[in-house]
Amino acid sequence: MKIERSSEWEEGFIKKLDHLEKWDSWTLYKMNYDIVKMKLITDFTGLQATKYLPNLKPLTHQLEAAETVIERMNGKAILADEVGLGKTIEAGLILKEYLIRGLVKRALILAPASLINQWIEELNIKFHIPAIAYKKNVPIERYDVLIMSMDTAKKSPHKERIYEQDYDMIIIDEAHKLKNHKTQIYEFVQSLKKKFCLLLTATPIQNDVFELFYLISLLKPGHLGNYDTFQSAFSASKHDLEHNDYLKELVNQVMVRNRREDTGIEWTNRRVQIVPIKFTKEEAEVYDLLGTLQNTGSFSLITLRKEMCSSKEATALTLSKMLEEDNAQSQEVEAILAKLMALEVNSKANKTLEIIEQAQDKVIIFTEYRATQIYLQWYLHSKGITSVLFNGKFNKNKRDYMKHLFKEKAQVLIATEAGGEGINLQFCHHVINYDLPWNPMKLEQRIGRVHRLGQEHDVHIYNLAIANTIEENILALLHTKIDVFEKVVGDLDAILSNFKESV
Amino acid sequence: MYPQQVHSFLRQFFTENDCYIVGEDHHYLTVQLTVDIDKKIMNRPFYWQYVEATNSEPNPAQVTFITNQTASAGSLYGEAIHFGSPRMNQLFQATRELGAYVQMYEKVDTARGQVILTPWLGVNYKVSYCCDRTKEMLYSFGINLLTGIIKEDFYETLYATEFDTVPAEHVFHVQYIIKPIRGLQRLDAAIEAIIAQDDHSWATEAKKRWQRDQRVLDYFYEDVDDKPECYNIEKKALEEQYDAKIKIEIINGGLFYLY
Repeated sequence: MKIERSSEWEEGFIKKLDHLEKWDSWTLYKMNYDIVKMKLITDFTGLQATKYLPNLKPLTHQLEAAETVIERMNGKAILADEVGLGKTIEAGLILKEYLIRGLVKRALILAPASLINQWIEELNIKFHIPAIAYKKNVPIERYDVLIMSMDTAKKSPHKERIYEQDYDMIIIDEAHKLKNHKTQIYEFVQSLKKKFCLLLTATPIQNDVFELFYLISLLKPGHLGNYDTFQSAFSASKHDLEHNDYLKELVNQVMVRNRREDTGIEWTNRRVQIVPIKFTKEEAEVYDLLGTLQNTGSFSLITLRKEMCSSKEATALTLSKMLEEDNAQSQEVEAILAKLMALEVNSKANKTLEIIEQAQDKVIIFTEYRATQIYLQWYLHSKGITSVLFNGKFNKNKRDYMKHLFKEKAQVLIATEAGGEGINLQFCHHVINYDLPWNPMKLEQRIGRVHRLGQEHDVHIYNLAIANTIEENILALLHTKIDVFEKVVGDLDAILSNFKESV
Repeated sequence: MYPQQVHSFLRQFFTENDCYIVGEDHHYLTVQLTVDIDKKIMNRPFYWQYVEATNSEPNPAQVTFITNQTASAGSLYGEAIHFGSPRMNQLFQATRELGAYVQMYEKVDTARGQVILTPWLGVNYKVSYCCDRTKEMLYSFGINLLTGIIKEDFYETLYATEFDTVPAEHVFHVQYIIKPIRGLQRLDAAIEAIIAQDDHSWATEAKKRWQRDQRVLDYFYEDVDDKPECYNIEKKALEEQYDAKIKIEIINGGLFYLY
């Protein structure tokens, strides 16, 4: 077996023997020995990190997750706790443990740009890990723990700089961004050396089981077989899984997933309701007319229908863009546009107002469209309701400011999809999903902003869906997808209420 | 390490390094650092560079360390310190540097007349077993530099002994026959012998984990004739992750003249 030793002490000893330097004190000698003895890691197993973090009070499930990853998964794992259970704390504990044990000297953390500051704060303050953010002029070879955004990391010249470094541990936050193996970021991560590796995501499956296959293949290629064997074994069709138990077993070997109910913490309830809405006759007419369009150019009919379920403003924007393109149907489009602009009522917005008035409390509205976002602010304002806007493009300061305004001044926060990550709003207990996304995990991410550790009230979730429109299909599809997810990964908190009964 | 232990560690460390303790209560300690200690624990190389370059009056810091935050009153301004905090790690590191080598003469009752002390070399080793996990052990050895006899748990036998840093009157010490460096080599050999006899199932287990992961990896690229670079990177990562090795580190050691 390899034995490593250093001659450093011996060199110093020779200097002392030759009377070049004076001897040290007996007290400091004893103190030195005592420190080493106190810090000695006497077991291969168990966590040392907690001793070094007296001010951190990790929860039981977080400690168990850290131990499981280190002792059973050998430091390569997907941390897939439900939103709001503290995956960052788990990752921090694991990193800290490896740093203390000397198994990791250098670590790289990839996170969405919006979460970088949060990572820096958590690691430095909670874990005493000196982590710094990547910047172009930072001499990265001098820093041991580096945090950078995925978008930067995957591009030249940054990616080459990263490849030159020798990291012992790679942590990737919001790792569901790696679900597609054809992306730049996937290739970038694939070519990184991953001695120890953590992938953090609350949503390891968003659409189909292949996403999980690609995620695990990044972590541990071959664990689920190669693509061909996996496909033949596990997917008769994308949504219908055979060999479920076997797959579940394999997945559980590399994935830790804590769910709210098994954390032992008293969670407040999620009260989910689907709020069915009826279009007015005029709205329904425009919706149906959109369906008659044969040629929608580069815009899909599905998009138009979804937009029509959202607001006339969103729809009008797309229709106008269609007119700018060379469109054989411009007459029809113009006719629809005219009818659209004549609409005076937005049934969904009316319903939304009703919910807000009933709630008499802070409310978050999620919409998929910027146009709808702005319309809603105007509409609510006209009814005397204050609101602030929030979207993912805001920088850290603006985010914090908007959050502050929402907390102190406004009743409503209107967020677009991108606003879903990285803000914690436990002081609010009402979430309106004004538009439904195709992806159930996005819904989970949205709800997770509010229903997380620290929430003291029951959380009310309103999923708005317009009858006899595409939104009914979306609801149905969301259910199918959740079903796949549950089979492989485990139950999911009520994201949707049981829609079959209510719609 | 409880707050009380941190507190007494600090007091001992600073006293031993000639830093004057300006003020103290059970939950805090205010200390005037010396230039040397400031350089070692305060992280301000640029300040010291500046002082030296401009030949200005050095102004080492005066710091208040709060050793027990819960007991601390609100008005106290200072730096909270606890086991695991960065400053504590720096103090530990400084202690390692400042307590690495000693030369000690056992205190004897000179009423007994002439006394002869025997030279010993004592060395404290930390041995680490590393794969994807770690375990550490401390060994303390002493070798009689006249006879070559090796004693285990040497540090424990010295712990309660009283020492002088210079031999007292009427106390003579025999020159060593075995040179200290040669003695060190014998102790190094002794520690390797102990390691060789130890149970190394941990390494066998690590190897099994390694082989299992390697098989999984090979399976992924089974039908690929020209293995891509990713394959080699993964393979290398597995080696670094699981490859078992043993590290031997000397904590401290020195010459002991014993009665």
